[in-house]
Amino acid sequence: MNRVRAPVLKLGETLIASVQEALMDADLVGLRDELVADVKRYRATGVVIDVTVLDVLDSFAARTIRNIAQMTRLIGARTVIVGIQPDVAFAMVQLGLTLEGTETALDLEDGLALLDIQLGRERRV
Amino acid sequence: MSDELSVPVRSEADLVTARQRGREIASALHFSSSEQTLIATAISEVTRNILSYAGSGELKLSLVQQGRKMGVSITARDNGPGIADLFSAMQDGYSTSGSLGLGLPGSKRLMDEFGIVSEVGKGTTVTMTKWKL
Amino acid sequence: MTYEKTLLPETLISSDEIGQRKAFLEFADEDVARLESVNEVAIRYADAVIEDFYRHLLSFEETRAFFSDPDVLVHVQRMQKAYFTRLTQGNYDAEYVANRVRIGVVHERIGLPVKSYFGMYCFYLRSVMQRLQEEYKDRPERAFSVFASLMKLTFFDMGLATDTYIEARERTIQSQQEAIRELSTPVLLLRPGLLLLPIIGLIDTLRARQLTEQLLRAVRANRAKVVVIDVTGVPSVDTKVANHLVQAVEAARLMGALSIVTGIAPDIAQTMVRLGIDLMRITTVGDLQSGIEEAERLLGYTVRRTGDGAPPLAGVQP
Repeated sequence: MNRVRAPVLKLGETLIASVQEALMDADLVGLRDELVADVKRYRATGVVIDVTVLDVLDSFAARTIRNIAQMTRLIGARTVIVGIQPDVAFAMVQLGLTLEGTETALDLEDGLALLDIQLGRERRV
Repeated sequence: MSDELSVPVRSEADLVTARQRGREIASALHFSSSEQTLIATAISEVTRNILSYAGSGELKLSLVQQGRKMGVSITARDNGPGIADLFSAMQDGYSTSGSLGLGLPGSKRLMDEFGIVSEVGKGTTVTMTKWKL
Repeated sequence: MTYEKTLLPETLISSDEIGQRKAFLEFADEDVARLESVNEVAIRYADAVIEDFYRHLLSFEETRAFFSDPDVLVHVQRMQKAYFTRLTQGNYDAEYVANRVRIGVVHERIGLPVKSYFGMYCFYLRSVMQRLQEEYKDRPERAFSVFASLMKLTFFDMGLATDTYIEARERTIQSQQEAIRELSTPVLLLRPGLLLLPIIGLIDTLRARQLTEQLLRAVRANRAKVVVIDVTGVPSVDTKVANHLVQAVEAARLMGALSIVTGIAPDIAQTMVRLGIDLMRITTVGDLQSGIEEAERLLGYTVRRTGDGAPPLAGVQP
């Protein structure tokens, strides 16, 4: 079920979860569990969650995403949220959701670059 | 006004429907895309409240007019346990369900008008309106 | 969609509203009946009234200017006759209102002043009063009651026409305000990845919102990583404005862009501290220049004089 709505890809030491359509709460929780398991299994050091297609990020979604970032960090991987759209970002701050303590980047490309810098990895050319 | 839309809230799938309907009404009123997102987000929050506290309920979306102003009004009604402490419920970070506690106060910030009526054992009704500037 | 129909500007006047307007004028069924009863009379003297009407209009330079083209004159005279006879045809429903609003829109568009519009209504009422007196010579009370009904309907029409004028003006003002607001908040691309948002003037909630929206769109369009927000030109900052500022910064961060706020004047800084506004979550730098330098440092730029230009101070080598 989750594989359809947010497939997780492995790229070197990084896991990339791209959300494909309006996520149901259960899918988000499923994604969280899957990512936490995968970080352990693949000994990943970075996670990118791409939310480009989401047109609403409410408090539940924001909390789950923040939880993912905190949990993955505890087991040794940094998480970057990428692709939050202007309208969504605007609504989130009005609601009071700032994803404090979570890294963000404009899109997948920037997110991967940010992880490389933070983790001191060599850039793959 | 007769342009009213009812969305039953029984499961998570209705959350997505409710947000979409909200966007449709808002776009018919020519709300900007960012305002549409504010409205859809507020709908998401109040609908989520119904699901997590009452289990089921109903959402009514309607066009409203006041003089020359047009707007979208959303009423979220449930027959759940009700809220004993409304004052606390409207404070940021207050939650009895382990959530972030931003749902009600946050929705109030997203909309222009916000009202809540709740009776313990009877249920809760949230009414909120966004005006077209 | 069904919503569309109710939202056309010409139908801003809903059936509720029409009812309220009629009620306030005490325009009732007997008025409708009275007006209908004189329809035949009206048709009989329509041509003469219209003739008088245009003679009056053309005898004033200000109104004559609108009818310099003879073809236009023939056309409007025909329209005017239709308008006039419509007054006594009953059915003062939504369609009637839409028609009246349309006529108002046309007159507003050609720029006919409201005073001329009102003057013409006055002329209408006077010439009709005269004819009613002649028609009902031995029944003055009949002439009087018909006239009263006609007056209500004419005032109904005048209200609609005036509101059409006001509506058009308000729309113009609104679009001008939007234009001003957009002009007042440029988002400038300083270098690849670096945006400058100079804010000048007072910030209210609406402007703050537009400013934030513009900033967020610019962040995405330019793939900006750092934004310098300069508030040197903002005369006062209260809790609300500060909150807007914080929100703009936080929203930009959600999109991966860091913000640096520059130019907070000393007295504004004092006010903010007194108000208990917590700007700890925002990077602030004294002036715009230091802000841009800080942004460049974050982005990995180093700026160096090339030595081609004259050095600003003697003895300083780049």
